Amino acid sequence: MTTLEVTGLVKDYVIRSGLRRATLRAVDGVSFELRPGRTVALVGESGSGKSTVARMIARLEEPTSGRITVTTPDGRRVDDRTYRDHVQMIFQDPFASLNPFHTVQHHLVRPLRLHHRDASWPAVRHLLERVNLKPAEDFAARRPHELSGGQRQRVAIARALAPGARVVVADEPVSMLDVSIRLDILSLLAELQREETLAVLYITHDLATARHFSDEILVMYRGRVVERGPADDVILRPRHPYTRLLAAAAPNPDARGRSLDLDVPESFDTTETYDHYQASR
Amino acid sequence: MNYYVRKLLFYVVALWTAVTLNFLIPRLMPGNPVDILMAKLQVRGGSVDPAARRAYELLLGTGGDESLLSQYFAYLGNMLTGDFGVSVSVFPAEVSEVIASSLPWTIVLVGLATLLSFLLGIALGAIVGWKRGTWLDTLVPATTVLAAVPYFWLALILAAVFATTLGWFPLSGGYDVTLTPGWNAEFIGSAVYHGILPALTIVVSSVGGWLLGMRNMTVSAASEDYVLTARAKGLRDSRIMIRYAARNAVLPSVAGFAISLGFVVSGSIITEQVFSYPGIGSKLLQAVQNNDYALMQGIFLVITVAVLAANLAVDLLYGLIDARTRARV
Amino acid sequence: MTNPGPVTKTIVDKRAGGRWRAVLPAWSPKLGIGLGLVVLIALFGLLGPLFTGDPSAVRDIGLTSPSGDHLLGTTQTGQDVLAQLTHATRGSLQIGLLVGVLATVLSAIFGIIGSYAGGALDEVFSLFSNVALVIPGLPLVIVIAGFVPADQRGSWTIAVVLALTGWAAAARVLRAQTLSLRNRDYVAAARVSGEKTWRVICVEILPNLLPILASQFVFAVILAILNEAGLSFLGLGASNSSTLGTMLYYAQNGFALQLDAWWWFVPPGLIIALFGCGLALINFSIDEIINPQLRTGHARQNDSDVTAAKPSSGNRSAVLTVTGLDVVYRADPPVHAVRDVSLTLGRGEILGLAGESGCGKTTLAYAINRLHRPPAQVTAGSVVLHDRDGQDIDVLALDAERLRTFRWSKLSMVFQGAMNALNPVTPVRAQLEDVLTTHRPDMSKQERRSRCAEVFRRVGVDPSRLDSYAHELSGGMRQRVMIAMAMLLEPQVMIMDEPTTALDVVVQRGILREILRLRDEMAFAVIFITHDLPLLLEISDRIAVMRSGEVVEYATADEIHRRPRHPYTRQLLRSFPSLTGERGLFAMSTPERETS
Repeated sequence: MTTLEVTGLVKDYVIRSGLRRATLRAVDGVSFELRPGRTVALVGESGSGKSTVARMIARLEEPTSGRITVTTPDGRRVDDRTYRDHVQMIFQDPFASLNPFHTVQHHLVRPLRLHHRDASWPAVRHLLERVNLKPAEDFAARRPHELSGGQRQRVAIARALAPGARVVVADEPVSMLDVSIRLDILSLLAELQREETLAVLYITHDLATARHFSDEILVMYRGRVVERGPADDVILRPRHPYTRLLAAAAPNPDARGRSLDLDVPESFDTTETYDHYQASR
Repeated sequence: MNYYVRKLLFYVVALWTAVTLNFLIPRLMPGNPVDILMAKLQVRGGSVDPAARRAYELLLGTGGDESLLSQYFAYLGNMLTGDFGVSVSVFPAEVSEVIASSLPWTIVLVGLATLLSFLLGIALGAIVGWKRGTWLDTLVPATTVLAAVPYFWLALILAAVFATTLGWFPLSGGYDVTLTPGWNAEFIGSAVYHGILPALTIVVSSVGGWLLGMRNMTVSAASEDYVLTARAKGLRDSRIMIRYAARNAVLPSVAGFAISLGFVVSGSIITEQVFSYPGIGSKLLQAVQNNDYALMQGIFLVITVAVLAANLAVDLLYGLIDARTRARV
Repeated sequence: MTNPGPVTKTIVDKRAGGRWRAVLPAWSPKLGIGLGLVVLIALFGLLGPLFTGDPSAVRDIGLTSPSGDHLLGTTQTGQDVLAQLTHATRGSLQIGLLVGVLATVLSAIFGIIGSYAGGALDEVFSLFSNVALVIPGLPLVIVIAGFVPADQRGSWTIAVVLALTGWAAAARVLRAQTLSLRNRDYVAAARVSGEKTWRVICVEILPNLLPILASQFVFAVILAILNEAGLSFLGLGASNSSTLGTMLYYAQNGFALQLDAWWWFVPPGLIIALFGCGLALINFSIDEIINPQLRTGHARQNDSDVTAAKPSSGNRSAVLTVTGLDVVYRADPPVHAVRDVSLTLGRGEILGLAGESGCGKTTLAYAINRLHRPPAQVTAGSVVLHDRDGQDIDVLALDAERLRTFRWSKLSMVFQGAMNALNPVTPVRAQLEDVLTTHRPDMSKQERRSRCAEVFRRVGVDPSRLDSYAHELSGGMRQRVMIAMAMLLEPQVMIMDEPTTALDVVVQRGILREILRLRDEMAFAVIFITHDLPLLLEISDRIAVMRSGEVVEYATADEIHRRPRHPYTRQLLRSFPSLTGERGLFAMSTPERETS
């Protein structure tokens, strides 16, 4: 089965200030594996480096060091040329990720053609129906501004599926959507993941959906993974102080204001990764 | 890098480019300008001393035995010392003298007119943009007509109406020729009197551009959250307009000053010609018509330096009024 | 993104929108007049020469004023001015078009390619454009023209020189826009799809640059015609060319001005001016596509036809009463953004206003303070603030001056995304002191300073930060500054519109705690607007759930938490999965426990 393995991923940004150069390490030694039929959640606040990891996997950014390797079911390593046949990405903001100039059809036909797949109308219709955009004829002719946020994100999902990729990176796929449709979109993703046995990387700042939507959770803080493990273990029995803080900060209607009293330290220790897998051994 | 250092460096590069262009243009053009000049000089009865010939050759290109590079460095040396050669059209004056005598006229006229038109355009633009949806909107298309009018044509019309027909203002010149230039009330009064029509031309034809740009930026700024906050704060309307909307909207106008200044300077050159104003624009044309290449190039350099200096001043000012530029790396 | 206002949401252009819908200007009188002028003048230059005679035919009638034979009179050599005008118009248009195309191509090359490629290429191209921009164009053109002997100055030479000196401004505009488009997600998405670079530029970016390219092209044409006219007027134009500028050159040299021969020098300039004006009007319409805010605003605000509901009074424990409030966006068709909303805010109470984007919660908040702008209009209802001193203030009935003094002193607001709510160009101190100088004119400078420092300390920000600019503060800090500012006049009501939405959850918690503490200390009431219902359940006393402009459920937080009655409330609550509750929301694959 197609798997994606990330080993020791590092991304440095060079900040030039006059003649001085400083490097900012956005991602620092991140390793994990995406396997078919499994969802891994990468959880963190803004600036934690989680989106940078997504962009490196989607090959929008070049890693400073570390490796990203994709292996096909027959054990072959995917080369650079065909990488994008296997790995696709869903972006955060569906209002920005579709080109206002082009129709829905264009957004789906292009990736089909680029990856040498059947780009005929039945293929496009099939894709649209997969993401529950029916009647497909009607939606195919529309332009992004004629769609609601949820519908746009469905198109974006269909676009990611078009190349037949088996690894999908979803970067905060619902955070820009209205709350009442977020679960619909996540359910759709979950359903597709199950049917197509996709390997999914779910990037989010929301612990609750991370727990319900994924099998494994990695908590990122300042570029490093500070805690990892099965979703329930990480959320219900957090061990790193930062994870505990995040879990405690989630709104809790039963607490009525008590959860507001958090003790927030200046920074956290990032030298150690609390690994629930090793702990349960 | 510091904002100011970066700006300074940029203008050094721009200046170098202009000086180098000035060196290259005559060498790339057909014909032999040095011979034409020397011939002219002889017609004027000027003695062709080797030093003059040398200055021309550095400016315009030699017969060919000297390497381009050594010509270039000698030329740079001449530029640094302000030696642009001798003018043939105003023989035997040095080019630098001719420029020195006409530059103040232009700087005062164009400088004041530009400043006036900028301030007027900014103020009117802010008001029109702030009062959007009222009758003031009809002013907007009207300004485009002004902006599209050729400077020199407007100058002609103004001269025809106010000088020829009504006789309110003199038709040409920079001052009453019966007076001797000097720092006395009579002369200054005459200079101001002569300057009104040219200045009016520059103001009328450039105010529209400032107005429109400022109006559009004010409209954008008026929909920003900080303006909404200012309204919620119960501030007076005039205060919100000035301190919040216009204060932000003026930044792009100042930043766009470079683009607009080029237009104004170009327009002013032709305006001076219409009014036979004793400024540098008229001298430039006089030089062109007389093939006075040395004067031509000297004036081009001086205009460029003046424009660069004005832009640099504006950029420095911009750094002062927008704190964000200083923080930017 | 959370609150794009009801109008933008609801009025989606349903007309058969073609591919070009987004890049074609909307019809307006301005565009009509502009196109009319341009087409008329273009036809005049194109077809005119076919009907008028030889422009250079010399007649011995000399300078004559307009007559039946010569509609625009003759020049001093008896040449027909109208015939000259048609030929000159053609000449000017040709050179304008030629230079426009050349300059636009140059600006596209330097503006688009450099900024898309980024890195050193961008630096070099950008430096090059900027240098070309600051070196004054016309003097350079004059010098170049001066070196080229008159008989070698062809139209092409002049066109190329004009294009070379006129592309830089457009390149700068295109660069800025390309830089912004390059970082759009749809460009990233196209790259992830595997599109080639040239295709990303041509198919994904270029179409969205078309309005700007068009506007820059139109601008380049105007500029070229003007510059060529100037050059010709100085006698430096292309040899043997006949343009409007050369006509004016001959008019000037033929003493047309001194001879009062207006028919000779007025028409050429007028044609240039009208053509330029026509193009500029077209550019207006194009600018409105690029920046939709520029569309001419609607008529002024008019709240006179409010059918006032009876302000309910006598409710001593309440601080604010909203009764039957209706807000309508006067569009076609009108949009009822807020429908018959009645709320009561008790003293010191936190009232949560929950709903999704476009539900009218922000419109409601603005209407309470009368901050809504046309086309939004309050059509019915009342807003009454029960002042501490026992007086009832009917907010909708206040005149402009009393409304101004009412704002902030009785009711202040904290807006979403404090990034933009603070004026970026003045230090925050100036923005706090602004409030005091306006509302407390008799306060001394010293008192103002110490008051500002005091509110800063209250929200836990060091008073030294007063001299900072907004961009120097973190998101959480900015929101604290906003809250400090809202407290300056000790208002009785604060409306907070998504005050913590853009913040990270930990920072968000800190701000919420601060709000609750300050509420306890200063006893102001809060209307807290957010889409985050669980958060409201936690902090507010009562909650109103809004959908499509209506309050569908209004009850205590406890009630809504335990017994939500409206199906929409239940749907909203379900949308937030509990962190610690049962799993199985998505019927996931069975969680495997394994070691790695």
